[in-house]
Amino acid sequence: MGSGQLTDWSTPRTAPYSLRRRESLRERALDRESPLRRLDWVLMLAVLVLCAMGAMLVWGATKPQNLAAGIDPNAYLKKDILNVAIGLALGAVAAMVDYRTIRAYAPVVYLASFVGLVFVLVHGVTVNGSHSWVRLGAGFEVQPSEFAKIAIIVVGAMLLGERADGADAPENRDVWLTLAATAVPVLLILKQPDVGTVMVVAFVVFGIIAMSGVSARWIVGILVVAMAGALVIMHLHLLQQYQIDRFTSFTNPKADTQGAGYNTHQARIAIGSGGLFGKGLFHGTQTNGQFVPEQQTDFVFTVAGEELGLVGAGLIVVLVGVVLWRGLSIAARAEDAFGTLVAVGVVCWFAFQAFENIGMTVGIMPVTGLPLPFVSYGGSSMFASLLAVGLLQNVHMRTRS
Amino acid sequence: MSDRSRLRLVVLRVLIVSLLLTLLGRLWYLQVLAGPQYARAAADNQVRDIIATAPRGEILDDKGRPWARNKTALVVSVDRLALQRQSDGGTQVLHRLAHVLGVSYADLYPRTELCGKGGLPHGCWNGSPYEPIPVTQLKDDRRSTLLALQILERKEDFPGVTAELAAVRHYTKPLGAYATHVLGNLAPITPDELKKLPLAEQAARLRDLVGRQGLEQQYDIFLRGRAGVTQVAVDHMGGVTGTLKQTSPQPGDTVVTSLDARVQATLESALAGAVHNARQLGKAGFGGPADFAAGVVLDVQTGHVVAMGSYPTYDPSLWDGGRIDAKAYDRLRHTPGNPLLDKAYQSAYSPGSTFKLISTSGLLNDGMASINGTYQCSPSYSIGASSFRNFEGEAFGAISLHTTIVKSCDTVYYGLAYHDWLRDEALIRQHKKPVEGVQHIARDYGLGTPTGIDLPNATVGHIADRRNQLLRWKQTKRNYCLGAKRRKPGDILKAYDQEYCTDGWRFNPGLQLIEDIGQGSVLVSPLQLAVAYSALANGGTVFEPRIGKAIVSPSGRVVKRITAPVRDHIPLSRADLDYIRTAMYGVTRQGGTAGGAFIGFPFGKVDVGGKTGSAELGLNRSFTSAWFASFAGLAGQKPRFCTVIMVDKGGVGGTVAAPAVRKVWDTVFGVENHRAAFPTGKPPVKLPATSRFGNGVPTTGNATSGSGASPAALGPVGWPLPDLPPAVLARSSWAALGSGRWGAVS
Repeated sequence: MGSGQLTDWSTPRTAPYSLRRRESLRERALDRESPLRRLDWVLMLAVLVLCAMGAMLVWGATKPQNLAAGIDPNAYLKKDILNVAIGLALGAVAAMVDYRTIRAYAPVVYLASFVGLVFVLVHGVTVNGSHSWVRLGAGFEVQPSEFAKIAIIVVGAMLLGERADGADAPENRDVWLTLAATAVPVLLILKQPDVGTVMVVAFVVFGIIAMSGVSARWIVGILVVAMAGALVIMHLHLLQQYQIDRFTSFTNPKADTQGAGYNTHQARIAIGSGGLFGKGLFHGTQTNGQFVPEQQTDFVFTVAGEELGLVGAGLIVVLVGVVLWRGLSIAARAEDAFGTLVAVGVVCWFAFQAFENIGMTVGIMPVTGLPLPFVSYGGSSMFASLLAVGLLQNVHMRTRS
Repeated sequence: MSDRSRLRLVVLRVLIVSLLLTLLGRLWYLQVLAGPQYARAAADNQVRDIIATAPRGEILDDKGRPWARNKTALVVSVDRLALQRQSDGGTQVLHRLAHVLGVSYADLYPRTELCGKGGLPHGCWNGSPYEPIPVTQLKDDRRSTLLALQILERKEDFPGVTAELAAVRHYTKPLGAYATHVLGNLAPITPDELKKLPLAEQAARLRDLVGRQGLEQQYDIFLRGRAGVTQVAVDHMGGVTGTLKQTSPQPGDTVVTSLDARVQATLESALAGAVHNARQLGKAGFGGPADFAAGVVLDVQTGHVVAMGSYPTYDPSLWDGGRIDAKAYDRLRHTPGNPLLDKAYQSAYSPGSTFKLISTSGLLNDGMASINGTYQCSPSYSIGASSFRNFEGEAFGAISLHTTIVKSCDTVYYGLAYHDWLRDEALIRQHKKPVEGVQHIARDYGLGTPTGIDLPNATVGHIADRRNQLLRWKQTKRNYCLGAKRRKPGDILKAYDQEYCTDGWRFNPGLQLIEDIGQGSVLVSPLQLAVAYSALANGGTVFEPRIGKAIVSPSGRVVKRITAPVRDHIPLSRADLDYIRTAMYGVTRQGGTAGGAFIGFPFGKVDVGGKTGSAELGLNRSFTSAWFASFAGLAGQKPRFCTVIMVDKGGVGGTVAAPAVRKVWDTVFGVENHRAAFPTGKPPVKLPATSRFGNGVPTTGNATSGSGASPAALGPVGWPLPDLPPAVLARSSWAALGSGRWGAVS
């Protein structure tokens, strides 16, 4: 239908939106009210650079070994770029739908993730000892626990953000409800077992609760219970031997450089040998010799350390910092409690996961199988992270400046 | 948003910023402060030295027969780290392996343990823990090969176990001759020895076997060769990604010895026969319990050793591969007669009357005796209250020196020794130096001094004189004085201790008397006595004996000729030496002390001289050691060889030792229906042809790994396959013999 001529004169400015003339795409994009103009471009840029660096590092980690094995040397690079593209599309969808609509559908999101977590226990496949993946066919696998993080953030924000008019803080009932709503997926994830994700979720939920304005008694109480729980776990020997090994090798890295400490020892050599400017992409000896295991996923940061040096590795830390800083700004400016808490939840997630991941590669945190958001290779993690960025943008776009 | 939430957001902001700053600080430390150290670690990580051991040089006899060479063997190795990673520490795999190899677990296990833990003297591994530890080598027969294949085919049953080709030392026992002690053996290099090497060589020699004892030790630097080193870049699994540097191994040089396998075999059987004979005769028949025997055959003209050995001995092939079975070694240590010690050169004994020719030389040289004099051979000789009896109480009246030697009359020497002693005491009273002529000439003959032979751990022996007596008294009097104090009254030893405590420093006339007949504290090794008798035979030239004759490079070039240096000349006139030699010919003839042993010997073809000895042992002189020192040459020619045989507690020299020496002469010259070792009566001068390809055993590669690598065995690369049944070679799993991760390196 030809736009313009028919409605040009007959549609007053005050007409309802649906009756207004259809603007051209270019006009819409440049409109003051357009979502694109309201995007947090600093956040976006930081995320895109992280994704680009991630793709490069995944390439650096896999090209030499693929060449040696006679496989397409760029296979991982291509798949990573595809993951980023899909993730960005998912993020765009998450940004476009008004977050208040998402809040309305929070129970549906929660239910969907519950189904996913149950499904993985029944039909999942085991990788590295964790029963966390669902095989979709055509070489695609998803990890429902990654999406469960989003579901928990949305549901937690909904429960704690919904409060009586004028109230500053959620009621105790809402906090209990949040803890209960979190407990179900946490137990399912523990069953996989995926302790790393459980720790992320715990930190995220703690962050949302703390930020919702509950009294300090809640915060202290949760911390005390958590510590007591940790003591009980230690005393009842509920941990697997490999988890204890990882921890002892963390507290005493020189103890067993052949066994449990091997990964972290080799990771430190990789990073340390990179020096200030690195050995250059594809020129890392530790990387090319495959001394660091899981290098394109959990230990991808070592590639940055070895091949790009302090400059490249430091840039990643700084970019993560930018993402977190912008996320917190979005949380601070959000128009309602739900928006704030969603943003806080996402920031807590990224903060914990980035610190734990980089911390384990540089030897200041124990080893857990957590990917570095945006950088590590892996579809589910990439999708979930970019979805979460979409949520941040969503909140940002709908905040009146 | 509430103020509370706003405040908490600020707290979260601060927390996150500080966490990220922590990460940046840690990166700064790792990459800048500790960067160089990690850069080094990364460099070490990816470079491995693969050591290709050089084939060790052969040891040949004078005619080119190999004493020691290399053979290809399948060596079963155990990867210690791989075993440790198994849930039970590899116990099950080792049990299975022990079962397959047919050894007990208790035998196998210690070999996989690292040395330095204490309590594991034998068999433990003193190489790097990162390398495969060779636990056993299989013979190159069909059964062993199938065994190796069984291990390789059932890899899943034997994780961490490999079988690979390797060159191992092999002692061939030519003509059945052992020569165990002379050859010595190999043993893994010790950490201390390794530390002393230049740093650059340490890695290459980590798994080296070095010569221990014998010729293997003496000529180690020639025999060893030079290991080849291939430096390769590796990935985390030890997989090779490229070669950085390569030097090929240089085989060791061949050592040609003067030892003759035929004479050696004869000597060894003669020693065993003498011991057997002595025991059979018993004390009544002038034999004895015969604990052990030793013998030496020297070329008196060149100073080279033709044969040397002792009994009991043991099979040198126990040392094949550079490692002896711990059980076998223990058995040897507890065998009576200590087969581990070569009595021919490693320890010294009273030579008895064989020493009389040394005394005679000294007395003649001093003018205390003359070849024209006559001397009283009485049944006993008295000085003051002490009486010195003749052996068996014999007496021959007034006799010449010739008869004294032929009959071995002790009392003549007692008289001469006493006058010798009186003269020295008179000089001492005049504050002059005593002459001690017998002691001096004994040292000229090489007794009581290092022989200088090309073997480690040769004994020096002992010659009694006034200075030694004083030294020894100073060192030992404390115990004797304590004994004199503490022993119960009436104990015979109490008086003895008391006397030694106060007067032990005195060189009594009695000491000189028994010294001149070769008893008391005169101690010589059979080798030393053979050197002395060689000088008597060749006209006074004292050699530093040599076993090595030449060092020949693998290409056949003579690197070095080895000749025995002349260390001294005996200051006796030709007439005196001829006189003594003539008397020695009399000893083997009818009426001489060895006459009985040489009845029927073809003196027309081979002329033999000698001197018997029967050294009394113990406080009550209940046993005697039988000695016979002899020289011989084709009739009408100069004496060419000297043989000394000693049978400890074996009885009388002429009865027990002399017949054994006769067997040696039979073989050397080929008389009395024996095949001649030296038909011309001389050892060969020309060097034998060294086998250029006989020793061409593959070099075996070993990987030395630094930290952080899984060790892997290097497969054999580019060398001929050993003699295996074709059916075995055809089997696909043969490839597995060489398919370690290193297999691609060449």
